[in-house]
Amino acid sequence: MNERVDADALAGRSGGRKSPPRLFRRRYLLPFALVLPIVLYEGLLIVYPIVQGIYGSFTRIELASSAATIWVGWDNYERMFSDPAFWKVIRVTLLFTSLVIVVALTVGLLTALLFNRPFRFRPVARGMLMMPWAIPEVPVVMIFIWILSPQFGVVNILARMLPGVTQNPQWLQVPELAMAWMVLISSWKAFPFYSLVILAALQAIPQELYEAARVDGGNRLQLFWHVTIPGIGSTLELLVVLAAIFSFKQFTIIFLMTGGGPSGTTETIVIRIFNTAFRFYDYSYATALGVAGFVVSLVVALVFILMQVRRTQETA
Amino acid sequence: MVAHVEDTRAAASKLTARRLLNSSLFYLTVAVVSLIIVFPVYWMMISTFQPSKYILHFPPPLLPQELYFDQFGELFSEHPIAKWLRNSFLIAVMTMLLCMALSVLGAFALSNLRWPGRNLFGLFLLVTQMLPEVLILIPLYILYRRLNILNSIPSLALIDAAFILPICIWILKGVFDNVPPEVLDASVVDGCTELGALWRIVLPLSAPGLAAVAVVAFFFAWNEYLYAGIMLSSGDFMPASVGLSTLKAIAQTPVEQYMAAGLVFSVLPVVFYLAMQRYIVSGLTAGAVKG
Repeated sequence: MNERVDADALAGRSGGRKSPPRLFRRRYLLPFALVLPIVLYEGLLIVYPIVQGIYGSFTRIELASSAATIWVGWDNYERMFSDPAFWKVIRVTLLFTSLVIVVALTVGLLTALLFNRPFRFRPVARGMLMMPWAIPEVPVVMIFIWILSPQFGVVNILARMLPGVTQNPQWLQVPELAMAWMVLISSWKAFPFYSLVILAALQAIPQELYEAARVDGGNRLQLFWHVTIPGIGSTLELLVVLAAIFSFKQFTIIFLMTGGGPSGTTETIVIRIFNTAFRFYDYSYATALGVAGFVVSLVVALVFILMQVRRTQETA
Repeated sequence: MVAHVEDTRAAASKLTARRLLNSSLFYLTVAVVSLIIVFPVYWMMISTFQPSKYILHFPPPLLPQELYFDQFGELFSEHPIAKWLRNSFLIAVMTMLLCMALSVLGAFALSNLRWPGRNLFGLFLLVTQMLPEVLILIPLYILYRRLNILNSIPSLALIDAAFILPICIWILKGVFDNVPPEVLDASVVDGCTELGALWRIVLPLSAPGLAAVAVVAFFFAWNEYLYAGIMLSSGDFMPASVGLSTLKAIAQTPVEQYMAAGLVFSVLPVVFYLAMQRYIVSGLTAGAVKG
């Protein structure tokens, strides 16, 4: 029963709810009264700061003095677009985000396929599978700082098995390795969520489809390609967008493990915004970077919403 | 006749052999995959529950050599971790209460009532939940500085609740959607107001959903690092997420204490997240815009 509800909710069709009770359909003020505190609250703490940020990106912000704000027009944006460091940040963000999408979704899909088959101990195995997702980010960082310690880190045992490796690598000091670990750790933390969603989609595929395909003489690969993949296709599409949003937001793991280093090779835009504001105290430029990040995430969020609307229309 | 029976028997045993091979291969894959996934967690446990003299060797032993429990006492006496946890708890409880109150209102309006602007409201929530938190950190920091409410636990809880509220509303909306409309109709016919129906019918039927909202809001604030680090820069209010990130393994903090700290901090979220995973996942994904 649980899995039924789950699958329905995730597949974007929330069951047999067609119309609300008749008497609840009248026009009246109650819904607005209920929603007003929420809109005010989110407006004050989310929307107002965004507007303030957009405005701030056109000014010079001096926190220390109480002098009137100075309007600087497009200066911050001109600086941003002509700044090679900005384009490097964009490249790093794109690389990190796309690698996490690929790795986390691939692992999520494979584990979902593996765990879709009933077997003994499956509940235990599934609980273990969800562990990385449930552990908070700061302890995740602590675990991996320890595992990657150049002196005593356990991962060095594996590295030493490779031919030619006689010393423990400085895992977070080498640009390529640092990026690889940021991707791996972020994916390790994220994939159980995708796995769970894909699993629900897999279980929503009607068994009759498989039986019909088998009667028609389909082999296992054909079943996978012509029944499984179409069955979870729209869920996968949605997860790609969701994974883009989540990995674009990733802050804590990168910030605490590399801080964006070595020499900016893991500095994604969210890290850059933070560093610009709270390390270099360049608030106005950081706000302009923030606006750039806002535009990107708004576009991705709109893609997600459009896909959701399409799905609900299809299933309705 | 006999030969025929022999034939089928041989075929059957061949089939079971193949099946056995298949299933043992399958179990092997499951075991290997699970091992890789769980290894970092296992390593945290191993490093917590044995004295670090064993593990400060290279290569470290993969199995625990000796059980050891003093690290927890040392951790609590050598670091202000009790204070950090208390601060985290306070922030989390405030966030939780605020989210529960507001999400009941929002979810009821979104799920059980029909009104113009309902889709727009859902869209508004969806977008706010998708923005990276760091984007509004600077304007909020400046605002808080001007209002002089930095370094205060309630003002951090106010921000945390604003970030997690949209997800809470989506979770609860999914639960409220399952209340049969006929029941609500009947209650209104019986002279119940809409708010009365919410209080007497929808809420009692949605207890697990409320629990999920409580868990999500509580542990969002408990785990939150970015805003806690900026808004509570004074040591007195430092929550555990920020406090733990200041510990330096080996150099300052013995490894078994370092990992014990991570373990102490993770136990509650892991237990509750695993218990509530179904609701949390639906809240994070099914935030579908619906007509």
